[in-house]
Amino acid sequence: MHSGRTWHDRHFGYLFVLPATLMLVAVLVFPAFITLKASVTPEGGGGWHFTLTHYVNAFRDPVLAQAFKNTFSFVAWSMAGHFALGLALALALNQALPGQTFFRLIALVPWTIPDVVAGIIFRWVLNPIHGALNPLIQMVIPSFPAEFQWLSSPTLAFPSVIFANIWRGYPLVMVMLLAGLMAIPRHLYEAAAVDGAGKLRQFWHITLPGLSTIILIALALDMVWEFRRFALVVAMTGGGPGTLTEVLSTLVYKTYFQFFTFEYASAMAIMMSVVLFILSLPYIILVGRKQ
Amino acid sequence: MARNIRRWIIGTLIIGFTVVFLVGTAAAAGEKVKIRFQTWHWGEKPVLFALEEFQKEFNTANPGIEVLRDESRYADKETVFIAQSQAKAAADIAHFQHRAIPLLAERGYLLDLTPFIEKEGGQKFLAQWDQNAMETCKYKGKIYCLNDYVNPLALLYNTQHFKEAGLDPNKPPTTPAELVDYAKKLTRNGRYGIGLIGSRQEGLFMRFNPFFWGAGAEYLTPDNKRSALDTPEALEGFRYYVELFTKHKVVPPGVIEQGAQEVRTQIAHEKVSMEIGVIQAPLIYAAINPNFKVNEVMAAAAVPSGKKRVSTVEYGMRVISAYTKNPEEAWKVYKSWVSKDVQLRNFKIYGVMSARLDVKSSPEIANHKFAKIFAAQAPYGKIEPLIPEWPKIGDATITAVQEGFSGTKTPEQALKDLHTATNRALGVK
Repeated sequence: MHSGRTWHDRHFGYLFVLPATLMLVAVLVFPAFITLKASVTPEGGGGWHFTLTHYVNAFRDPVLAQAFKNTFSFVAWSMAGHFALGLALALALNQALPGQTFFRLIALVPWTIPDVVAGIIFRWVLNPIHGALNPLIQMVIPSFPAEFQWLSSPTLAFPSVIFANIWRGYPLVMVMLLAGLMAIPRHLYEAAAVDGAGKLRQFWHITLPGLSTIILIALALDMVWEFRRFALVVAMTGGGPGTLTEVLSTLVYKTYFQFFTFEYASAMAIMMSVVLFILSLPYIILVGRKQ
Repeated sequence: MARNIRRWIIGTLIIGFTVVFLVGTAAAAGEKVKIRFQTWHWGEKPVLFALEEFQKEFNTANPGIEVLRDESRYADKETVFIAQSQAKAAADIAHFQHRAIPLLAERGYLLDLTPFIEKEGGQKFLAQWDQNAMETCKYKGKIYCLNDYVNPLALLYNTQHFKEAGLDPNKPPTTPAELVDYAKKLTRNGRYGIGLIGSRQEGLFMRFNPFFWGAGAEYLTPDNKRSALDTPEALEGFRYYVELFTKHKVVPPGVIEQGAQEVRTQIAHEKVSMEIGVIQAPLIYAAINPNFKVNEVMAAAAVPSGKKRVSTVEYGMRVISAYTKNPEEAWKVYKSWVSKDVQLRNFKIYGVMSARLDVKSSPEIANHKFAKIFAAQAPYGKIEPLIPEWPKIGDATITAVQEGFSGTKTPEQALKDLHTATNRALGVK
């Protein structure tokens, strides 16, 4: 059977996607290729001489190992916090309450604050001399030290950064989950109630299954974003004390722009991308199946 | 009819092209050469006033050249310049400190100024500059800059606080032990003796180094090939700086979060009595707190560095980008910026000390309350090793100092790990 479409008809569509394709090549493929090439180029070298030295060195670098460890921990805790807070608020904001729109807008505010600004705000809030947190805690616990050090403490610096990041990033997960909640048909809950199911059983058997796809997508996207989180960490601690809050993105930046070792930084960036790609596979597969 | 329309269209096109061509040519002929002058100081008062004055004066005197404001930020000045250089679109003139010169030169981002200097008279022209400072502009036999300021550090202290603590304001501490003693006496009533920098910034070295070098320590062996951090002197200097906070408790809490500006703010609001500061710090105190009577209350003295009299010095310089399309015009702007008149005016506006000998020895500096003390520190000024590996070693040093401050490691362990990290950065097996 001949479809009746000419070669011209079949291929004319490519012309329309050409600008977008060229744009993608320019902003995505080309820089990725340049980074990959740099990662196998000898330090300070050029042309087409290749080496795997940077990758070998990367596997022996204790600071990089620490940054990987910190990044995984940062991402895991941030995702858990975003999910717990996002789901709790989404459930609350899905109720028909007076001022619902107002509260929905208020809950979105942290998402509108740039990373650097959020980092600086928290740095000042947690400042042992001028910060607002210590006096607030003292109002509740009078014996609490007036000049308690949050960001200078080896045990509390990292949790403090994670806490700030949870506050800054939960609205995205919340909005996605709220959209998912609003899409679950009301009659399912009505039928369950008629059958005698309590709120907890409704949540477990209707809400969670209804949100499962959205949860997976929200967490996958959150993971990718948190893996690349940079400005908040720089603004709050600069990776310190020592390297206790150093994450991959801050280390790659430092290695490239402060140590001027472009090639080694590129190798780190490629390793980071590979890990990120592997972690994103469930999301990619899911989206592929949906399509 | 159709022919008339065609004639009309062709005629209009010819006239249009002619007008566009003539206007374009005229515009090109009258167009000024634009020189982008990049510095983080465009966003900082009172330095901004000096820059605006220079820009206005130069643009008026040179109708064919226009100096354009190009902003960077202190923390990412290298980032901005590297990214722009990789795109071959860097600012024509950019502002750096001495640590960046070998690294940027090595990558080919800087214009070699040697031919311009030769045209100006070579050695005779260069003789106008502090020769120690000029060493930081040289790399592999080429000259990439002319220093425009020298920034040695000195002890800045609040004489009023000295009096309140029963200390003689005319007898500042002269040894590290005395500094601790004074700082302990000054730490009272919610006020702290000395402000230190502990955050991840270059300012940390500048405050740490006088005590480290003063103890007789060095970062590297004389050939710059290996770490020299495994000596008792290194431990003495390292421990001294860290213990000001951990043991003597004369430094405000949260030292790891303190940068230069935070310490200056604490001085300006009288939460802290002393700091190791730069020459322009008194002007910054006054800008932070206009009610603080800086000239009456604050005084300067040599850093009480220890066995060896030494101070950190920072050199500031402009460079011309290797990718400038107008090197001659850029050089004209550059030369004007480092001229005696502009440098002297800069001192008057924002208190920075020029690397030009004729400005450094001028009566304006010799008779200035703070400048004369800072100028006296310059001969004892020392810089970190100018090697490409320095940024990595410097970062590891900050890490070690922070580990000491936070108690993550003992000073001994932190220094031992720094020694290992330094050798790793140098490629020592």
